[in-house]
Parts: sequence; C-alpha cells; structure tokens
Amino acid sequence: MKVAATLSVNGFAYPVELDPGTNLLAAVRDVIGLTGSKEGCDDSECGACMMLLDGQPVNACSYLALQAEGSEITTVEGLADGDTLAPLQVAFLELGGVQCGFCTPGMLVSATALLADNPSPTEDDVRIGLSGNLCRCTGYDGIVKAVLSVAGSS
Amino acid sequence: MSMQTFTTAATVEEAVAAVAAGARPVAGGTDLVVGARTGKSTMPGSVVAIHRVAELRGVEPLADGGLRLGSLASHAEIAESDDVCARFTALSDASAIVGSHATRAQGTVGGNLMNASPAMETGGPLVCLGATVTLRSPSGTRSVAVEDLWTGPGKTTAAPDELLVGVEVPAPAAGTGSAYVRLEYRRQMEIAVVGATAAVTVVDGVVTAARVAMTALSATIRRVPDAEAALVGSDGGSAAIESAGAAVAAAATPISDVRGSADYRRAMAAVIARRAIKTALSRARGENA
Amino acid sequence: MATVEEPRTFIRPDGKEKVTGTGRYTADLVLAGELVAKFRYADHTHARITRIDVTKARALPGVLAVVTHEDVPDVLYGGMVKDRRLFARDTVRFEGDVVAAVAATTAAIAEQAVALIEVDYEPLPVVTDFEAALADDSTLVHPAWEEYEGNESLGRHHNTVGYTAIVKGDADAALASADVVVRGRYVTDPVQGVPIEPRAVIAQWQGDKVTVWTSTQVPYAARGGVAHVLQIPESHVRIIVPLLGGGFGAKCDFHFEGHVAALARAARRPVKLVFSRREEFFAVGHRREGMVIEFESGARSDGTLLARKARLVLDKGAYCGEGGFFSEMAAMHALGPYELENVNIQSSLVYSNNQPSSSIRAPTAPQVCWALEQHMDELAAALGMDPIDLRRKTLIETGSVTATGQVLEQIAMKETLEKAVELIGYGQELPEDEAIGVAVGWWPCFAANSGAYVKLNPDGTGTIITGAQENGTGSVMAMPTYVAAELGMQPEDFSMLYQDTDAAPYDMGSCGSQTTFNSGRAVIAAAVDLRDQLLDAAAEQLEASRDDLELVSGSILVKGSPDKSVTIAELAGEGTFHGKGAGEVPFAPEALAEGCVGQSGLESFHAPQLIAHAVRVRVDRDTGVVRVLQVAAAHDCGVILNRMGADGQVYGGVVMGIGQALSERTQLDAEGRHLNAHLTDYKLVTASDAPQIDIAWIETDTLNAGPKGSKGVGEPPCVPTAGAVANAIARVLGARVHQLPMTPERVWKAGQ
Ligand SMILES: Cc1cc2nc3c(=O)[nH]c(=O)nc-3n(C[C@H](O)[C@H](O)[C@H](O)COP(=O)(O)OP(=O)(O)OC[C@H]3O[C@@H](n4cnc5c(N)ncnc54)[C@H](O)[C@@H]3O)c2cc1C
Ligand code: FES
Ligand code: FES
Repeated sequence: MKVAATLSVNGFAYPVELDPGTNLLAAVRDVIGLTGSKEGCDDSECGACMMLLDGQPVNACSYLALQAEGSEITTVEGLADGDTLAPLQVAFLELGGVQCGFCTPGMLVSATALLADNPSPTEDDVRIGLSGNLCRCTGYDGIVKAVLSVAGSS
Repeated sequence: MSMQTFTTAATVEEAVAAVAAGARPVAGGTDLVVGARTGKSTMPGSVVAIHRVAELRGVEPLADGGLRLGSLASHAEIAESDDVCARFTALSDASAIVGSHATRAQGTVGGNLMNASPAMETGGPLVCLGATVTLRSPSGTRSVAVEDLWTGPGKTTAAPDELLVGVEVPAPAAGTGSAYVRLEYRRQMEIAVVGATAAVTVVDGVVTAARVAMTALSATIRRVPDAEAALVGSDGGSAAIESAGAAVAAAATPISDVRGSADYRRAMAAVIARRAIKTALSRARGENA
Repeated sequence: MATVEEPRTFIRPDGKEKVTGTGRYTADLVLAGELVAKFRYADHTHARITRIDVTKARALPGVLAVVTHEDVPDVLYGGMVKDRRLFARDTVRFEGDVVAAVAATTAAIAEQAVALIEVDYEPLPVVTDFEAALADDSTLVHPAWEEYEGNESLGRHHNTVGYTAIVKGDADAALASADVVVRGRYVTDPVQGVPIEPRAVIAQWQGDKVTVWTSTQVPYAARGGVAHVLQIPESHVRIIVPLLGGGFGAKCDFHFEGHVAALARAARRPVKLVFSRREEFFAVGHRREGMVIEFESGARSDGTLLARKARLVLDKGAYCGEGGFFSEMAAMHALGPYELENVNIQSSLVYSNNQPSSSIRAPTAPQVCWALEQHMDELAAALGMDPIDLRRKTLIETGSVTATGQVLEQIAMKETLEKAVELIGYGQELPEDEAIGVAVGWWPCFAANSGAYVKLNPDGTGTIITGAQENGTGSVMAMPTYVAAELGMQPEDFSMLYQDTDAAPYDMGSCGSQTTFNSGRAVIAAAVDLRDQLLDAAAEQLEASRDDLELVSGSILVKGSPDKSVTIAELAGEGTFHGKGAGEVPFAPEALAEGCVGQSGLESFHAPQLIAHAVRVRVDRDTGVVRVLQVAAAHDCGVILNRMGADGQVYGGVVMGIGQALSERTQLDAEGRHLNAHLTDYKLVTASDAPQIDIAWIETDTLNAGPKGSKGVGEPPCVPTAGAVANAIARVLGARVHQLPMTPERVWKAGQ
C-alpha cells in the first residue's frame, strides 16, 4: 500500500506516493526524477548516494524515504546557485577532482557537509570526512586538494 | 515480506504505544535499513520512526557528575561533546570511529545498543563505565545495566514492547581514565574485528578499580574479570598490563571468517587490550594520551 | 630527455554535467515502457543441467519474457576462444553463469520469477585449485575444448587455455655456475576491478534493429558480440555509451548486451539491466586472476644477473574471453625490465570453475611484478647488495636487447629509478617501524586501427566524431585540445560525438591505455585533413599560395599581410568541410623470439612504458597493519600531452595498487563461490588511507610512439605499486610476505 507524503528536495516540495519501505535514494531518483545521486552498492559503503538531511550527511540508499518527510533534503542538483557553480564544484573541476564522475555527486555533498561543519579543516580532517565516499579513479588527490582550496587552508 | 505500515512518533508515548502494538522502532536506520537492503535481515512489517521525538535527544551532563544520553544521541554528538571527551573518554573514542561521517550523523547510541552486535563500538565503553539503560513500555519504566542488556548476537533482554529511552552513565571516581581501542585495517569504515575497552582508577600510583571489556571476541561484548584482577592493586606497570592482556586473549572465543582467523583474533585480543589499558592508565594519571 | 614538472589545468568538456548531477549514466536513462531484467544464475559452480522449466516464471503476472538457451541461436562466442554460450545449455561452470533471464514490469516481480525457474542439475567435481587443474588427469572444465574455435597460437591443451614459454640461452647451466641462487614461491589472491558505477544495459528494438545503451569500455566489441550471438548483421546493432562511471577493465569485453537484447526482443519492450554490487563482484570478467608464481634467479657475486627461471600458473576461471594472451603477458612481466642472457619462463593460463578473469587494469602485471620485485630484493639481500644498486646494474637501458630479442631504443628505465629514489629520499634516517621499498616495471602500448571525423559547423565551431571511448580518464576529453591546436582554434570551439557505434569508424575502446595512442592519432589525422581543405579554400578565396597561409585564432591569414584574411566561420558558412583520418598505425618493433612458444604478439613490447615506484610505509609489528605514508612515482610514458589527466591516472592507479597490495582480496569457498561479494569486506582504499603521491614524468623520444611522441599512461601506475610496498614491508619486518594481498594477518604472521 502506497503512502502519500511530501518530500522537500533542494527547496522544492514534491508530493509523492511511496511504498513504506522505499529508500530515500529510490524515491529521489525513480519517483521524483532527480538522478544526480547515484547507487553504487548495497551496504552503505560507497557514498555515491550521499544527500544532506537538514544539513547532515546521509546514505540515502539506506534511509527510509518516509523518515525524510519534514526535513530539507539536499542533493548534488541543489549545490549550484542557478547556473553559477558552487566554489566546490569549480574546484573539483580545476584541480582534478573529477574523472568518471560517478562518485562526484556524493563527494560534493559530503564535502559540502564537511565544510559546513568545519570551515577550516586540515588535510587529515578532509580525508577522514570523505572516507565514506569511495572513488576508484582519482586516488582522492584532486578531491582533497579541491576541498582544501575552497576551505582556504591548503 | 515488505514493510506494510510506517508511522512517525512525535512523543515518547506515541513511540511506546506503537512499539507495544508490534512496530519496530527505527532511529537512524543505519543498522535496520542497511541490514534489510543487504539481505542480512528482513524489513519488519511494521515500523515506527522515533527520530523526531525531542525527548529522546540530548547529551547532558548531570549535576552529580554523571551523564545522560537520549537514545537518539548520535555518534557525532557524542564524539563532539566536551563532557564525554573529558570524563567518559572511552565512549568518545568509540563514537568517533563509527562508520563514516554520515553513519555518525545518523546512527544513534540507542540503535547501536539495541542492535546488539558483539562488534558494536559503544558497548564496551558503556559496560566499563558502568552505564545503565532506561527501558520503557506501557507497563512502566525499568533500568538495566548495559552489561546485562545482551544475550547473544542481535539478542537483548529487553522485552519486544520496550523502547530504550536513554542511557545513564554514573560519575567516574576521581583518578579514573578510560579508553577504547579497535583493530583497524583501514583508518575509517571499519567493523571491529577485535576491540577492547579499559576504565581504570589510579589513586596514589595504585590501580584501585579496573574494568576491562572485549569487543567482537565472544557472542556478546563482555567484561574479563581475570584481566581486571590482574590490574587491581598493581602499579599499572608493564607486568600487570601484560597479564591483563593475556587474560583477555584467554577469555576470548573468537571465530574464523573472511575478516581474520581465530588465531589472529586471539593474538590481537592481547595486543589491543594492552593498548586500551595503557591509554586508560595514562589518562587516569593525567598524562597526555 | 626532459622531465615534465608543471601541471597544466584542463577543464573537462564533460565536467559541468558531472559536477551538477545533470550528466546521464546508463542507469539514469528511462525509456517509455521499459522493463526490469534479472538473471537466474547457476546454482552450482560446476554441474550438468538436466532440466530447465520456466513455465511458472512465464505464468507470473507482470512477466513479459523469460529467455533461456532455447530462445537464442545456438552459437559459441568469446574473443580468443569461443567457449561459452549466452545462456548455459548443458553445463554451468561458475557461480555467475547465466542460465535464464527474466524481463518483468517491476524488480520485485522479476526477482520472484527468477526464483520460480526450475533448474535441475547433476553436480560435477568442482575445479577450484587451478594449479592442480594443470595435471592431465584433472577434471576438465571444458571436455569439448578441442572442438572450440580458438586462436591457434594459444597452445591449448586439457585445462590449459594459454601456454607460453620464453627460452633463451641455458638457464640451468647458468644457474649451476652462479655464485648466488635464490628461489621463491608467491601466491596472489584474485581481486576485482570495482568501478563505482555498477554495470547497466538497456536495449530497445525498433523493427529489425536494436539500440543498446550500455556501460561498456568497448562499444565496437559489444556491437560485434550482439550481432554474433543473435546472428544478425552488425549494421542492425547500435551501441551507445552514456557517461561511463569507470571501468578498469571490468567493463572490457562483450558480456551482457546480448542477454538484454535477447530479452527485449522476446518482451517486445525496452529492457533495462542494472547490476547490484553483489552481481558486480561475481560477474564474468570483473576479476583480476589469482596466480602461483615461482622464481629462481642466479647471479655472480658482483651482482651480474646470470639466469632466471620462472613457472607461472594463472587462474583464468571458467571462460577465456579476450584474455587468452595473459600467459604471454605474464611471461613478459616475469622477464621484467631486466637484461637477461639465460632465461626459461613457463607460463600457463588455466581453466577452473572460478569466476573468469579479464583485462583488469594492466592485466597480469601487478601480480607478477609484485613477485619479481620481491625476488630481486631477495637476490640483493643474498648478494649483500643494496637493492637499488642491483637494479642499477641489471635494468634495461637504451640499446639493451631483451630476452625475446627486441632491441630497445630510447627508453628511460634507469632514469625513472633514479628519479623515484630521489623523490622519496632513499637512504634517509627513518623511525624503526618505517622503511622505503622500491619496485620497477614495464608495460607495452597496443597499436590498433582507429578512425575519426572532424566537421565544421556553419558558425565556425566544430564537431569531433570519434569511436574512442571515454571511461573517465579524460583521454577522449582532451581531444578538442589536439584538434584546436591543428586548426588554430580554441578547444571550447569543439563538441564531440562519441561512444556511438553508428557515428564513427571502428575503435578498440578504452582498454590497453590506447585511446590517445590510437584514437588520438586518428583525430589528429582528421584535423590535419580538415586543415588542408580549409587552406585550399582560403588560398582560392584570398588568391594566395597555400604555403603563405597560417591558421591563427579562428582565422586564416596571409603571412605578412594582416589585412588579407578570412575567418574559419566565413569559410564554414560556405562549404561543408569535414576531415577524416586514421593515421598510420605505428609498427611494433621486431622480436626474434627464438625459443618462444605461445606468441600472441606481445613478445616485443611496443613503445614500452617504464615505471619506478618508491614507497615509504609504517608497519605496526604487533598487529601487522601497514600504512603507506608516501609514494614517489617516476614514469617514462613518452611525451605527456595532458599533464592533469596523466597525473590523475597515476594518483588513481597507485591507490588502486595500494588496495591490491594490502586489503583487496576476493575470498572463495571450496566450491569457488564468493565469500565477500560486498564492499564491507572487500576493502578499497579510502581517502584517509591514501598517501601523498609525488609524480615525475621523464619524457623520451620514443620510437614508433603515438601522436606527438606519446605512449600510454593509464595502466602503468598499477604495475609496480604492490611490489614496492612489499619490499618496504620486508625491510621493516626482516621477513617477507609471500601472499598477496599482504593483509594485517599475513604481515603479522610473517613477522612472528
Ligand atoms: C557504513 C556503516 C558503518 C558502520 N560502522 C559502525 C561502526 O564502526 N561501529 C558500530 O558500532 N556500528 C557501525 N555501524 C552500525 C550502526 O551505524 C550503528 O550501530 C548505529 O549506532 C545504529 O544506530 P541507528 O540509530 O542507525 O539504528 P537503527 O538502524 O535505527 O536501529 C538499530 C536497531 O535498534 C533498534 N532500535 C533503535 N532505536 C531503539 C530504541 N530507542 N529502542 C529500542 N530499539 C531501538 C531498531 O529497531 C533496530 O533493531 C555501521 C553502519 C553502517 C551502515
Ligand atoms: S549506494 Fe548508498 S552508500 Fe553506496
Ligand atoms: S571519479 Fe570515478 S569514481 Fe571517483
């Protein structure tokens, strides 16, 4: 039996009907139609699905969508200001933080949470903060540099 | 079977009523939902989300020097609390290394304890710090020592209609230091293959009280009396630490699996226990550790 | 010879869509009416199928198609040996063999239907010990192997699907005369490619033609594969690759496009397959093989290398696919970049009932290099020599002749060693739990055909049409810079049409680090062709001689008369300018290779890339936990065309190598089933475990190189990383770990 709910994603309210067991990632990708967040695993290990829930990072693949009703959900699609990329997005591009790009949405979301929590992290803080996001392409080098450059503490 | 009903509780009463009616509580979902997704467990047919119950939140120092954690206290909140860090250090050691920043933001102490994994991080510290949990059901409220909460992997002494509402940790005696150490293959995103907690009180250079618990080395997290006995009355020197470590290894009943052999786990039990005890002792002595 | 130091910024043309989440990967696409595909996998790792009954599955509401071997042409396929069927017919040979497939309206219904398919089996003895499978009396994985169509040079016999011997001089006699002889046996566990994007395939038929959107590294191989297994013309198959979320070889070879196309045809609806991470782990071709490696080397007391013998056994798993060349590739890595007079290398690639291996990033090289570089350090220890000094004495250099008779020209092997050693600070005082280890390796380029078009649009911008496949490395993304340079335009002036087999001529795909080498060559040739056309048109219009014209900033000018010019946009508005090109495929150097058996063309290494890595590690002796603290990577990869892209390959490849060195490991049960098909227990390196990596590029003037003197850069970084880590661990422990990965438990045990 589907349940009616309203999910607020990137500032828009979406009325949805969901099976109660639906996870937040499936709701946002398949029902709401925002496919920026990715699915890379089944055990909450890869971080490709990372979203913010009232500013706090969450592995959306393993979070019940209905639990998110009443919270503000942020996905990668909500990071830019209209056509203007967020500084983190620019830095990822300029410093080699993007290759295949499949980890990128989750990485950007994690990095956003990290900087909100700690605006001037050390390199180790950044590495610890991004450890729930796997990247197979970049060796994390460009990603870490990008986050540090935005934090202004590189 | 898939989930049929989902409700969100706004108050403790609503949550307790829902649980009494057969719903499983979900807090951060980092065990419950993940377990169902990987196929390790099945999704309960009825679920009550308790994450919006304000009364279940909080990491509060008590007037008597103790600490109260709401069941929804997240690992991030615990790890970032100055109080926990200063006086209940083993607990902050533990919460600080749970999963990733997302696991720590969403995962709660109540969920950690009730999931009853023998590898859970906060269990050993709460046992060694003498914590109790408050369980509430329609028929009332009772306290259970954390030590007595588990009966096996995934099994607790809580009745199916009981909700864990909070955790109380008594004030540590003067001269107490505690530490939790986990064997880590990677620096983050680990599951304890071996873990150990120590809480020791040192008065005038003598260990007057000691609690030592092992994690992921038996069916439940539990204390090791022989290790504690080896420390109490000693000067906390290397001989005492050595024999306490050996006692932990002797008490361990480890398994062999993809994460390591029983032999390795047993050997590591001694190493990790020694490290936890050493750090707890230096903290008790006020040394920088 | 020059060292490139300055990174240049390079903004990827596909960057904005990737950082905003608007880019589309295969799983992001939705076609009207699409169905969900699920596979029924083998229930045994080796068994005869006695009955398949899909009646109940077909009857389930919501199921539109159930497909088995009966519903597709009965053909065998496989890149180098045709040894498998799309759907198992008589026999299943590994955990991931597909017996049937279902297309249904929802995933839940498809899963239910899969479970309703009844399959009866007669279990057969399971071959998991691949070394034992070499024996003539072992159970055959493919009893009909002699009837299979396969590459003649492979030397197939019994369970051996590829056999290579490299023999030069008299190794036994030389060993007998050596002052020092060392022997070692090394065993590696299988590991996985693990792109973060799981495989996804969507197929849609329109009339007789099928379009397949798929996350493949090799679209043309996928097109050929679909055409072959469904017995339809290649022109009826169009493969489109949306953004590809990494591959690392796990998405090479033709695999699942045929299954999904067959399902879509049967269901008369578009069908989408998206793998779970678990499927991703056990799927055919996603694995780097386990090996057994034995070395014996002898030297004179002054460090002169006299001889090397090696015996290699590689676990191919159930099917050959394109990987028949692995025995020769492994044998070449058993030689390594060393000067050797007396050699006897025997390398066997063996069928088993384990998951089939494939061309995972630098196939065979990291394992063999890990063993050989430990072996060389052991030899140095036996000689009482510093391991760097032993390498200085024995490594190849310009003018060396390899054991297969290839004369090496313009290589900077020793220079990379010196650079790596310098960057890491070899010889510095270190805490007692830290040490530095060094390893060297090599890797060939693969010359292949490719073709491309560059067309001008009426507004003076251009479009590059290439068969090249971008897997994330940026090698295709860099192509506008090459074209712009030829035409005096800006890279931003070009769009790209790529990853669509109906658009461009054949290309090998993103494998073998060949994209710049071959597709880049073709694109540049097409740009040169276009440039010629533009110059001809401008010469006529400006009434000037072609030789007096130059292309600058989007205009064609007459040298010395700045007022006489025409913009490319003006010309483009008037004609249809389109260049095409393929370029000349560079020659592979000759190898004499007398005494070599089982040649698949690798006995000479074309434009070899030379690599030296130095790493500093900290070893916790009590627990065996190793942390890699610093890596210095020095590479001779020819001329570096895109520094940021090349650096990115090293960062990623080194970190992948560290994973293979320390934590990545597929564990199988006694029947060859995965025990850790999930990321919780298959441990990739996280950001907090990844070290600082310093990179040096040593540019050489390579013979037979790719465009502008380039070689490949994608695979080499994986090659010597594990070996360098191993040598560093051994220095701390005073003992060696002979199993890969060097897990904490193994390191701890070695140190006991
Ligand atoms: C990637 C990842 C990494 C992890 N790493 C670690 C780690 O390093 N260490 C570690 O210890 N754990 C780890 N975990 C497990 C998990 O995050 C923790 O156990 C967490 O504390 C669980 O809290 P939760 O609120 O998410 O629990 P939930 O999943 O919401 O609940 C867990 C269980 O407890 C029950 N429950 C929850 N709250 C109550 C309550 N108030 N009363 C009664 N029953 C209740 C639920 O019904 C369920 O059975 C990891 C998990 C993931 C996904
Ligand atoms: S898809 Fe959510 S963590 Fe991997
Ligand atoms: S860029 Fe490919 S996984 Fe990170």
